[in-house]
This record gives sequence, C-alpha cells and structure tokens, in this order.
Amino acid sequence: MTDIRDPGSPARAPGLAFLELGERLRQRGQLDAAATVALAGLAHYPTLADAHDLLGRIRVEQGQDAVAMAAWRAALECDVSHVGARKGLAYIAFRARDFATAEEHLELAVRAAPHDVTVLAALDRVRAARPVVEPPPIAETGATGFLLFDGQGMRLNGSVGPDAPEHLADAVAAEGASLAREGARVARLLSLGDVQHVVVESSDARVAIFPVAEGASLLVSRPAATPVGRLLALGQRASSAARDWLGRLG
Amino acid sequence: MSGDRWQQILREVTGVPGVRGALILSADDGLVVAESAMDALDTADVAALAAMLVSRAGRCAAAMGTAAPTAVHLTARHGALVAVAGPEPLWLAAVADHDAELGRLRLLLGDFAGAIG
Repeated sequence: MTDIRDPGSPARAPGLAFLELGERLRQRGQLDAAATVALAGLAHYPTLADAHDLLGRIRVEQGQDAVAMAAWRAALECDVSHVGARKGLAYIAFRARDFATAEEHLELAVRAAPHDVTVLAALDRVRAARPVVEPPPIAETGATGFLLFDGQGMRLNGSVGPDAPEHLADAVAAEGASLAREGARVARLLSLGDVQHVVVESSDARVAIFPVAEGASLLVSRPAATPVGRLLALGQRASSAARDWLGRLG
Repeated sequence: MSGDRWQQILREVTGVPGVRGALILSADDGLVVAESAMDALDTADVAALAAMLVSRAGRCAAAMGTAAPTAVHLTARHGALVAVAGPEPLWLAAVADHDAELGRLRLLLGDFAGAIG
C-alpha cells in the first residue's frame, strides 16, 4: 500500500496523478479545488482506497466530518487495512473524545503498518489522553466487599473488604473465577441455562457471584446476617455498575 | 437414621412445586446416598456436579477466610441447584425448575439437612 503523504512512495501510474495534485492543492489550502480533483479521480477509480482517503482528508479540513467519515469508510471497503483511513477515523473519534474508538482504529492501523512511526505516535497520544477510568460506584451500593475478575481469575477491580490486602483479593479472584466456571459447567450439564448467580452461605458470611460480561464475574460479600434477597438485589445493582465500568474500559 | 426417614425427607422436598428431584450425597466422593427424583433427572450426575460445586465454594470461602459453606445455590435461567450441608460429609441437594419456590425450598433443605445424619 502506498501513502500519498510519503515522499518516498514509489511513482504512481500516470492515471493516478490526480492523487498527488489533489494532495498538493489540499496542502495549499485550496480545498474546493482539491475536492474537485479528488471527486473527478474517484469517478474514474471508484475502488481506489487512496482516492477515498484523499477525499476524507479534504472533507475533514472543510469541517465536514460526517462526509469525511463516509469517505474513509468507503476507503476501508476498498482496502480494509488502509492506514490513512484508519488514521482519519481515529482522528475524528479522538476529537469527539471517543478514545476507545480512536484506539481501536489505530490498533488496526498498527497491525497493518507496524513500523509506521506516525501511527505509533498517534496511538501513544490517544492512550495518554484517555482518562483513567474510575472504579465502578459499588461503594454506593453498600457492599462490604466487591471483587470484579475475569474468566482467568485475574482481578479487574475491587477487594473483599475495606482493610483486606491485595494478595487476598487476588487469591479470592482466582478461586471465585474457578467457582464461576464450575457453576457454568454444572448449569450446562444439567441443562439449567445461563447462570444468573451462585450464592455461598456460611456461618459468618454470605457471598454471591454474578456473571457480568464475557468471562468476567462480580463477587459480592456481606455478613451472614444479610438476607439472601438483599444480597442478590445488591449484587444485581453492583453488576450493572460493573458492566458500565467494563464498557467504558472498551 | 433409617433409609425410610431419608426417603420421607426427600419426598417432602420433591413435594415442593417445581422441584424435579432431591438427593442426599456424599461431598467427599460425589456419590448418591439416597434419592427421589423424576425419571429425566440423572441423580448420579447431580451428585457428582453438586459435590464439585461445593468443593469449589469451599475453596473460595477458604480464600476469603470465612467459615466453610453451609449452603450453595446455583440459580440459572431455566432452573436451580440448591445444596445444604448436613453432617459431614453429607449434603442435601435439590434441582428445581426456574419457577419453583426457591425461598421455601431453601428453608426446607435447611430444616432437613441437620436431620439426615
């Protein structure tokens, strides 16, 4: 794939000279003229990803973000690994503070051009700008302890109590994931359907585990005096908050 | 306790609307000790799976530093498995449909679990 912004790009076929002309016009700020050239070229080469990319860059400078996005999406339909189109879409997403989408486009661009320093730098900028995601507002739900972990038993967030050390939370995450997996296996083998929760009662605690997303589960613990129904209601609210939090992680 | 008494307990549990079967199992080896179930329910499978679930719940409780589990409930979209600890190593377990009265079932299993020794 060639990049018209790369001075080291190999010479284009004569019929594609419009790309360089349109780019020069764009750089000079002659955006209407650049758009006319790009559109004329596209009329001859409607499946040329570089031409759609050029039009996207012109349109975004004209303040026509929606048209620019359409052009870059068209470029990706022609060439799904088109780095310029990914960068363009990432740029628009970044401006809209949609950092997850920007990062996603740039990661795909890096996959297509792993040594492109401009893409790598852009990805760094997006990641640096991305706000730190606050933990889910589980504390508002009144849980003594909550612990969010993935399917491999890695802790994602939370703890098992206000004073509990991290290594304890990590150990509970590992065992909690094991229990969640076993629960899913039991439900499958007994044809019970998707697991809604697993509750473990003991003389001094009540613990419930809720699946919240693909592989991820939330463990909520309360003292033994807590009614099971309240534990479940609490867990469902906390699960909703955890899902939102995971969604914001991207 | 006599086998007759066990059967009486299991019949009372399966009398709860929506309960497909009940059994007494040994959590050590996952084997059925006594059972009362509809034909479609394989109590040997239930015993083995319930014992594994109880074991995992025990490990989770140990990691948390809490006491050993006295009850484990698995609730899923189409049904539930409820198990309550009796005298070591016995557990009283039941499989129920999704619309069963789980609150009543839990209480009943709790009442009977201590009497199965």
